[in-house]
Amino acid sequence: MTDMTSIPWLTILVFLPLVGALLCLLSWHSAALCRWLALATSWGVFTLTAGLFAAFRQGGAGWLLYEDHAWIAPLGIRYTLGLDGISLLLVLLTGFLMVVAVLVSWRVTRFSAAYFALLLGMEAGILGVFLALDLVLFYLFWELMLIPMLFLIGIWGHAGRAPAAVKFFLFTLAGSLLMLIAIIGLHLVHVEAGGAPSFALEALRGTALPARVEPWLYAAFLLAFALKVPLLPLHTWLPDAHTEAPTAGSVILAGLLLKTGVYGLLRFGLPLFPNAAAASLPWLAVPALVGIFYAAWIAYVQTDAKRLVAYASVAHMGFVVLGLAAWNQTALEGSILQLLSHGITTAALFALVGMIDERAHTRRLDELGGLWGRVPRLGFFFLLFCLAALGLPGLNNFVGEIMILIGAFQTRPWWGAAAFVGVVFAAAYMLRLVQAVLWGPPRRRDFWPDLDVREGVVLVALALAALWIGLYPAPLLQPLQAPVADLLGQVPLGPGPGGVP
Amino acid sequence: MTWNDLIALSPILILALSSAALLLAGAWWPRRQALMGLGCLAALSAALVAGVLEPPTEEISALFSAGPYARYFTLLWSLVAALTLLISLRYGRERRFSAGEYSALVLFAAAGMALLSSAISLVGLFLGLEAFTLVLYILIAFHRREERGAEAALKYLVLGAVATGFLAFGIALIYTSSGTFLLPEALAGLDPQGGLRPLALLGWGMLLVALGFKLSLVPFHLWTPDVYQGAPVPVTGLLATGSKGAVLAVLVTLGAGLESGWAELRPLLGVLCALSLLVGTLCALRQDNLKRLLAYAAVVQMGYLLLALMAEGGAGSGALIFYLTAYVVMSLGVFAVIASFSSAAGEAQALEDYRGLGLRHPLRGAALAVFLLALAGIPPTAGFMGKFVIFVAALEAGLVLLVVVGVVASLISVYYYLRVVIVLFSPDAEEAGLSPARGEESFVIAFCLAATLILGILPGPLLGVIAALIP
Repeated sequence: MTDMTSIPWLTILVFLPLVGALLCLLSWHSAALCRWLALATSWGVFTLTAGLFAAFRQGGAGWLLYEDHAWIAPLGIRYTLGLDGISLLLVLLTGFLMVVAVLVSWRVTRFSAAYFALLLGMEAGILGVFLALDLVLFYLFWELMLIPMLFLIGIWGHAGRAPAAVKFFLFTLAGSLLMLIAIIGLHLVHVEAGGAPSFALEALRGTALPARVEPWLYAAFLLAFALKVPLLPLHTWLPDAHTEAPTAGSVILAGLLLKTGVYGLLRFGLPLFPNAAAASLPWLAVPALVGIFYAAWIAYVQTDAKRLVAYASVAHMGFVVLGLAAWNQTALEGSILQLLSHGITTAALFALVGMIDERAHTRRLDELGGLWGRVPRLGFFFLLFCLAALGLPGLNNFVGEIMILIGAFQTRPWWGAAAFVGVVFAAAYMLRLVQAVLWGPPRRRDFWPDLDVREGVVLVALALAALWIGLYPAPLLQPLQAPVADLLGQVPLGPGPGGVP
Repeated sequence: MTWNDLIALSPILILALSSAALLLAGAWWPRRQALMGLGCLAALSAALVAGVLEPPTEEISALFSAGPYARYFTLLWSLVAALTLLISLRYGRERRFSAGEYSALVLFAAAGMALLSSAISLVGLFLGLEAFTLVLYILIAFHRREERGAEAALKYLVLGAVATGFLAFGIALIYTSSGTFLLPEALAGLDPQGGLRPLALLGWGMLLVALGFKLSLVPFHLWTPDVYQGAPVPVTGLLATGSKGAVLAVLVTLGAGLESGWAELRPLLGVLCALSLLVGTLCALRQDNLKRLLAYAAVVQMGYLLLALMAEGGAGSGALIFYLTAYVVMSLGVFAVIASFSSAAGEAQALEDYRGLGLRHPLRGAALAVFLLALAGIPPTAGFMGKFVIFVAALEAGLVLLVVVGVVASLISVYYYLRVVIVLFSPDAEEAGLSPARGEESFVIAFCLAATLILGILPGPLLGVIAALIP
C-alpha cells in the first residue's frame, strides 16, 4: 500500500465528480449521454471509496490519508484533506448513495445536463465536507454543497418549490454565517495568543481559549451543525424541503446532508471547544429526546407519505444526537453507524415514495392503499425498509439503535429508558405508513407497472446494504474504534452541571 | 510641470487625449462601431501603460500620486471603461448613440476616476471628482428619447451640485484650519492641539457628506434607485463600479493619513455603515425592478466597504481594495448581462421580464446567477472571499457589533438576490424573442465570470499585489 500515499487520492475523490459535472454540461445536447456520464462518474467515485474502504477497513489511530498544501498564503489558509475511520465510512456512504441518486433520477428529462451536473457538484461538496481539515476549506465545501441543493429543489421540485428552496437555504445559511464569524474569531484568538495565522484544525485545537469567549464560539458552531442535523426546534425547514424536493434531492438531503451536521460536530465543534462541549453534552440530550417523541407524533398524523418519512428522519436523528450526548465508546460508535443505517433506510424510503408518486401521481395516504396486491415487488421492498426503519433486529437500524441505547444506559440510564419508549413510537408511525400504503382495499383502478430493472437494482443494492449492516456490522465498526477513542480522550466528559441524570 | 510628470501621468493623458480625439473624429467621421472600438483600444492601452510603465516620479505637481496604489486604480478604471464600451456597442447602435461623444465621455470619466483615485491633495480630489461627475450628468441622460434618463440626470445634477457645494466648502474650511491642501498635512488640522480644530472637524464632516453622496451611503442615498433605473445600462455599470470605487480609493488615502482625528470620525462612520447596511437591505427586499434592486443592494455593498475602511491599518485597506476589485467585476458582470438582454424596444428591468430567461438562455442565465450569488457572498466566488477578508479585518479591529449587523444584512441579502435567481429559472410558457448575445457581450460576461471565480478560488496572488501597494 505504499502507492496509496504518493497519489493524492483524496483530491482525486473530491474533484472527480466535478470533472463529471463538466462533462455533463458539455454534453447538454443529449439527455441520455448526460445520464450515462453521471452514472459512470458516480460509479467511479463509488469504486474509489470502496477501494479506500477495502484498504483501510482495519482502521487505526491518526489520519489514514492526509494531504496538505498552501492555498491562500497571505491569510494562512491551507488546502488540507484528511481521512480517518469516521470520514471513511461517511465517504463510502456518499459514494453509494450518489449512485442511487443518479439511478432514481433516470426519468429526469428537463434540463438534464444541468440536473446531473448539479448532482455531481453536490457530491464534490459533500465529499469535501467529510475530508476538509482547514476550517475555511471546510466552510467552502459546506456552502458549496448547499447551492446545488437549492437549485435542485428550486427548479426540479414540486409545486411549492420556490419558498421551500429559499427557506432551506436561508435556514442553513443563517447558522453557517455565524459559524464563519466564529471561525474568524477563533483564528484571531489563536493569533493573539501568539500562534501563526492559521485556520487549520490541528493548529487551532491547541489554542487556549479564554473562558469568556469559548462558549460563544462553540454556540455559533453548535447552531450551524444543529440546524443541519436538524435538532429540535430548528427542524422546520426540513419537512418543507423534503416535500418539495425531487426524489434524488430527498435521498441526498436525508441520506447525506443531515449527516454533515453530526460529522461537523464530531470533527470540529467538540474537539475545538472541549470545555464548552463537555458542559453542553448533557443539554444536547434534551432536544434529542424531545425530538424523538415530538417528531414521531407529528409523523404519525401526517397525510403525505413523504412528509411522514421526513419527520421520521427528524426522530431518527434524535437518536443519533442522543448517542453523542451519552458520550462513550459504544454510544458514539452506535451513533456513527446509525448515520449509515439511517442514510440507507431513508434513502430507500424516499426512493420508494418517489416510485409510487411516479405511478400514482399522489403521495396522499388516503388515496393510496392496496399496493401489496397490485405491485407486489414494490410492496415487498416497501415493507422491508419500513421494518428496517422501525428497528427490526437483523436489519440495519436495529444495530445502531441498540448500541446507542446500551451506551446511554451505561452513563445515563434514564435517558436510555426514555429513548427506549421512543422506539415504540417509531413502530407506531411506521406501521401506519405500511397500513395506509400496502394493505387495505385499492382505492385506484388504473394500471400500475411493477418495478422495472433499474428500480429493482437500486432497491436490491439498498436492501443488501441494510442486511449487511444488520447482520454483520463488525467491518464497519472496526475503523471507528481508534478515532472514537481519540475523540473521547479529547473531550473528557465531566459530571453534568446541576446533576442532570 | 516637468517631462517626468507627464510620463507619470501618461495613462491618464492617453485617456483624456484620446477622448478629445474621438470627440473631434466623431464630428467628421460618424462611424459608430469604429469609434467605440477605438475608444476601447485607447482604454486598453491606458491600462497597459499603467500596468507596465514604471513612472519616474512618485508624485505629480503635489496634486496626484503616481505610486503603485494610483497605478492599480488607473489600470482598474481603464479596464472598466473598455468593458463598458464593449457592452455599449450593440446597445448604442440600437439607440442611435452618437459614438464619438459617447466614447469620449466614457474615456473622460475613466480619466477623472483615475485622477480621483490618485489624489493626494484636496485640490486633486476636487478636480478628479468633478471631472467624472460632470461627465456622468451627460452620460445618464445620453438616450435623449428616454424620459426617465433626463429625469435621473436632473436628479443627479441637482443633488450633485449640492454635494459639490459641500465639498468645496469643506475643503475651504480644512484649508483655513491647516493652511495646506496636501492631504497628510491637512489632516494635521484635526490635531487636538490645533487652534482651529472645530473648523477642521466641520470641514471633514462636510467632506464626508459630499463623498457619502457619491457613494450613496444612507442617508445620502436617495438619488440612487432613480439614477440607476434611468441611466442607460452600460452607464449604470460605470456609475456603480467606477464612480463609487474611485471615491472609496481616495477614502483609503484619507484614512491612512488620519491619525489623531480618526477616533473622532469613527463613530460617525460607524453610524453611516450600520445605516447603509440596514436601510439598504430593507429597501432592496421590496423591489420588483432589477435595476432599483441593484441600486439598494449597492447601498448595502457600500456598507461593507465602509466596514473595511473603519478597520484601520493595512488589513482593513487591503480588504477594502480586494473587495472593491471583486465588487467591480461582479457588478460589471451583472450590468453586462442586463445590457445583453436589452433589445431595441427597451431594457429588461422588471423582474418579470427575467422569468424563465435562465432556462431559455442557460449560459447568460447561469452567469447572472453566479454574479448575483457572488454579490450575496456565497462561496466559491470573489464575493465570499471579499466579505471574508473584510470580516477578518473588522473583527481584528474589534468592530464586533458592526460585523453582526453585516452578517444579518448578508443573510437577508441572500433572500433578495435569490429571488432574482429563482425568477430567472422559473418555467415560463411564453417564448420571448430575445437575440442571442453578441460576441463582445459574451466576452465581457465571460471575462467578469472568470475573474469572479478566480478571485474566489485563488485570491492569493491579488492579495499579495494589494499588500504591496497600500500607501
